[in-house]
Amino acid sequence: MATLRAETDHAGARRLPPARRLRPAERARLAAEILAAYRRARRELRRAPIESAVAALRAGPPEAPSAMGPAPEPPPTMGPAPGLTPATEPVPRLTPATEPAPRLTPATEPEPELTPATEPAPGLTPADGALVEAHRLGRAVGRTLRLLPGDTRCLARSLVLTRLLARRGIPAKLVIGARADPDFLAHAWVECAGHAVLPAGDGSYGRLVEL
Amino acid sequence: MPPETAPSAAELVTAKIRVPQHVVYRSFPAETVVLNLQTGRYHGLNATAGNMLAALERADSVRAAAVVVAGEYEQPAEAVERDMCELCNSLLARGLVELDGDAPR
Repeated sequence: MATLRAETDHAGARRLPPARRLRPAERARLAAEILAAYRRARRELRRAPIESAVAALRAGPPEAPSAMGPAPEPPPTMGPAPGLTPATEPVPRLTPATEPAPRLTPATEPEPELTPATEPAPGLTPADGALVEAHRLGRAVGRTLRLLPGDTRCLARSLVLTRLLARRGIPAKLVIGARADPDFLAHAWVECAGHAVLPAGDGSYGRLVEL
Repeated sequence: MPPETAPSAAELVTAKIRVPQHVVYRSFPAETVVLNLQTGRYHGLNATAGNMLAALERADSVRAAAVVVAGEYEQPAEAVERDMCELCNSLLARGLVELDGDAPR
């Protein structure tokens, strides 16, 4: 029997058309955009709580869509949570726990241009086109950020993808979920039109909040 | 930010407890996970405390919530009220609940 979780966890069930492979120059442009979004996401998280950081990353006018190639990614997790009682235990944070990386570029540096849009497949609705694009971007974010040092786990990836989607005018939700058994784990992912475009985990995460 | 001074027991039992907008929680069979979006910290409540939190949010006062929970667990209301006050102080200290009437943070 189909369940809501199954429906939201695997967007591929809709059999959307495959994406065109990007040319090297397009890939490079997209990687630069992802890196810029990552730097900005870290900066926003240092400045403000996650809700405000998400809002700031979404700010700015939507622009034209882009594209790139595939790469599956296992779902990273955020680590165990503390109980209320042992107040001295270290507590995992949503914000990156590592020291802020040295700023590589001035804060006001403009973000790289968007990669050019792919031609929509014949018969593809705008909503399906947006979903295909969101999946492409999700794969690119995972593939690019996993090469970086520092905390590039699920929350960082979700924030970066949120930024990329917002720049393209694709509506998306950043979802934070958690599970309590067999051990505590929290996880963040991004959904477009109810479809997870970053790995939503193994189905054991209950939704805590959608931003 | 948690309140600078804890409310007295008399103030607490008659107060309405509110979960602020920046705090979300979800109950699992063995644990309730509470996330404070302002601090980015997760907290875990055991099943009883999770049940108390849900009752606190529904009731008009801590005392009224204690009566409900005492009925569910078949325990003396006074003992449950003490436990709930202790839980409330813990949650208040961590900014996970507010007394209704506090300025939104």
